[in-house]
Amino acid sequence: MIRLLLPLAGIVIFFLLSLVTVRILKPRQPRLFFLGYATLLLIVAAGVYVRLWPLASLDDGAGLLACLLLQTLMCLTMWNSFYSLLWGFSGGLMHDLYNEPDLRHVDRLVGSYEREAGLDRILSRRLPNLEAGGYIEVRDATIRLQLKGRIVALGTLAAFRIFSLGMGGGVNRLRDASAGR
Amino acid sequence: MLTSLAIAVLVLLALQTIVVAIVAALRPTANIYVTIIVVSVTTAPLALLYGTHYVGEPLGSDGRLYFVLIHLALGGFLFHFMTLPDRSVTLRILVEVLLAPGQALSTRALGSRYGVKTMISSRLEQLSAGRFLEISGDRRIALTRKGRSFGRFVTAGRKLFGIASAN
Repeated sequence: MIRLLLPLAGIVIFFLLSLVTVRILKPRQPRLFFLGYATLLLIVAAGVYVRLWPLASLDDGAGLLACLLLQTLMCLTMWNSFYSLLWGFSGGLMHDLYNEPDLRHVDRLVGSYEREAGLDRILSRRLPNLEAGGYIEVRDATIRLQLKGRIVALGTLAAFRIFSLGMGGGVNRLRDASAGR
Repeated sequence: MLTSLAIAVLVLLALQTIVVAIVAALRPTANIYVTIIVVSVTTAPLALLYGTHYVGEPLGSDGRLYFVLIHLALGGFLFHFMTLPDRSVTLRILVEVLLAPGQALSTRALGSRYGVKTMISSRLEQLSAGRFLEISGDRRIALTRKGRSFGRFVTAGRKLFGIASAN
């Protein structure tokens, strides 16, 4: 059981490194740092584990695997919390509603995301990122998928079908169904 | 030993994925995340059975515990994976373009298929169903205690990580 302290220590270090990186270095792509830290800590954890508890039995092997999987899962949870809760759409809505009482009305909230001309606040942040990442091409206000984008879209569509997710994107499945999707 | 453990991981992950897909097909309106948690927990005894009898040498009590943890951690990975297709606005945009005639979509058409009104209304419904907020008949939004805690958490988290603006 004491072996489970290893992933616990790993996640604490991951959190501290991530926090220091985001606060002090302020990188444009924090995810690359997160990925690097998670990989490095995984290697360190495996090294420390094998040194302390050599792989003499299946129990030891299962312990190593459990420690590494738990550490990775916790890093992923922290990472996902950072991007999904703090940067994500629902988190953003709750942030706005909590901090701006004037927006606590459906129409005013929707209005705060709309733009008089061009793309709304949600698409105007995402489309340039997708284009810069080589997933789409936008020409004459028309979006076309690049190879990378097509592969990701096909994978996503497969996940929609396999797990009965409707059309995903955080939209209620019943809402999609009523819209004939 | 490591090969048989790696095979065990694949078997356990496949087991959970297949069961989640079957349950989701049978109950398409159910919350997929609750489905994953329930499937992961209820199939844990199967993982224990598999680990005890089919991986190789017999597992001790610690080994059995680790095997269950491996199984639950894999359920956790499935949970995280599901947030991508289920919640991501970006992935939905890519699928909308993929499904458009000629796989090309004007920004205006994208806005009408998957626009800000649909997105916000749907999220508000979900937040309301999750008791984070209440929407009255005149479309006013009131944050519940849970909603205020969540709003405080996001605000503090953004401050901690120095996130100026998002969405």
